[in-house]
Amino acid sequence: MASRRPPKFDGPMDLVLRADDLHKRFGDVAAVNGVTLHVAPGERVGIVGPNGAGKTTTLLMLLGAVEPDRGTVDLVGQRLPQGRSAAMERVGFAAGYLPLPDRLTVLETLRFFADLHGVEDRDEAVESVMDELSIRRLSGQVCESLSSGQGTLVGIAKAVLHRPRLLILDEPTASLDPDVAMRVRDRLEQLNAEHDVTLLLTSHDMREVERLTDRVVFLRDGQVIADGKPADVVAASGHVDLEAMFLAEAARRREEEV
Amino acid sequence: MNGRRVGAMVRRNALAQVRNPGHWFLLLVLPVVDALLFGSIGVAYGDGDGPVRLLITATLLFHLIWQVTLAGSLGFLEEVWSRNVLNLVATPLTEREYLASLGIVGLLRTLVTVVLIATVGLGFYSVSPDSAGWVLVPSVVVLLIFGWAVTLMVVGLTLQYGDSAEVFSWGTLVLLMPLSGMFYPVESLPSLLRPIAEVIPLTSVFAATREGLETGSIAWGELAVGALGSLVALALAAWFLDRQLRRFRSLGWISRFT
Repeated sequence: MASRRPPKFDGPMDLVLRADDLHKRFGDVAAVNGVTLHVAPGERVGIVGPNGAGKTTTLLMLLGAVEPDRGTVDLVGQRLPQGRSAAMERVGFAAGYLPLPDRLTVLETLRFFADLHGVEDRDEAVESVMDELSIRRLSGQVCESLSSGQGTLVGIAKAVLHRPRLLILDEPTASLDPDVAMRVRDRLEQLNAEHDVTLLLTSHDMREVERLTDRVVFLRDGQVIADGKPADVVAASGHVDLEAMFLAEAARRREEEV
Repeated sequence: MNGRRVGAMVRRNALAQVRNPGHWFLLLVLPVVDALLFGSIGVAYGDGDGPVRLLITATLLFHLIWQVTLAGSLGFLEEVWSRNVLNLVATPLTEREYLASLGIVGLLRTLVTVVLIATVGLGFYSVSPDSAGWVLVPSVVVLLIFGWAVTLMVVGLTLQYGDSAEVFSWGTLVLLMPLSGMFYPVESLPSLLRPIAEVIPLTSVFAATREGLETGSIAWGELAVGALGSLVALALAAWFLDRQLRRFRSLGWISRFT
């Protein structure tokens, strides 16, 4: 469909993520069927597609939480699964649907994840990320008492406090009100621009994808059907924008299911 | 093995358990209740101080192994209940580091419960916690090994069945308690159940403890059988957990925890 985006890197060694020919089948369902994804430092990549397209399964394989039936994942230079622990020192992950650990305050949660990620000056890093995300006032609250928006911000804070090279986000603004969602997007753009954090995210909000990413990978039935700049992907699809393309793809999937 | 990550996980586990009122009941109330119950039964129906010494010592040993098991299995269930498993997977924490943290918290719980029961035994029934003599040292070591085997098995079951496996966390040892002749020789059991009792490693350990209480001698033969059985149980449980972890990654069980 769309032409592949010109790479911003010189060779495979520079990639923060190199996933080749990923396959994953659950019973009779081929959840991911030959996905190849190369991401260069500083890129902002959105993985989109209707429900069941294989987005979350792909992300879980990139995190080492699900083992591919076939294919390889090199994450920040580490081959999974052997290098998972070393890789995760430089990778952050947050998901809009994922709560924070119960029974810890926000401050304790951030210190906990800082320790797990081996942050050298833990307390300074935690203070800094709380200021950057304007969540210092929440530091004494237990996580289960946070609102969705506050929880999402803390989730992003715990994912970035170790200054990851790659930030993987699954539905980062799901169930947030527009104001909080906008603040989250602002912070993500800031992290990418000021700290050169590579962004890899999934979202069902196509406006968010168009704003936050400079490259879109469109999945259908576990396969990549388009990979390029959002405008190029839309142009090649013949639709007016990414949302129209998404809706057409979702309708096609519904018809197939019927 | 990274000590800082183990330490962070120990703190997380300890805080989660300390702040859960249910754990206080299991850790502080039940051991005292059991010590009072069995101590008083020993006084009421025993002839001389032998029965009360046996019942208090057996209660102490039962809670020692039970608390190790509870710390591990409920520690993991805390992460399941708060849907924190994926957050942990997306960090450099390794499976061995996580298990090590559960083991350390288990030892801390054991220490608390031993002190409690020893205090009740000494204060109310004049039973010294070391009534059985030196046999207690190898007995405790073997019981901890067996308790750890049960923990690994329950964590493996929880990976597959989620919080439905909760009953195994507290129920496994409750099931083994009457079968392993903790308070009586296995000859007291119905004949149908004796063959089952004979293959449970705990049976030999409790038999050695009873002999220590009655004669002051160390039944090395019984202890060796118990130790061998416990090591076999530990090896089987480690194999089972390893298999479950492979299935966890291969079958995408992580989606059950998000």
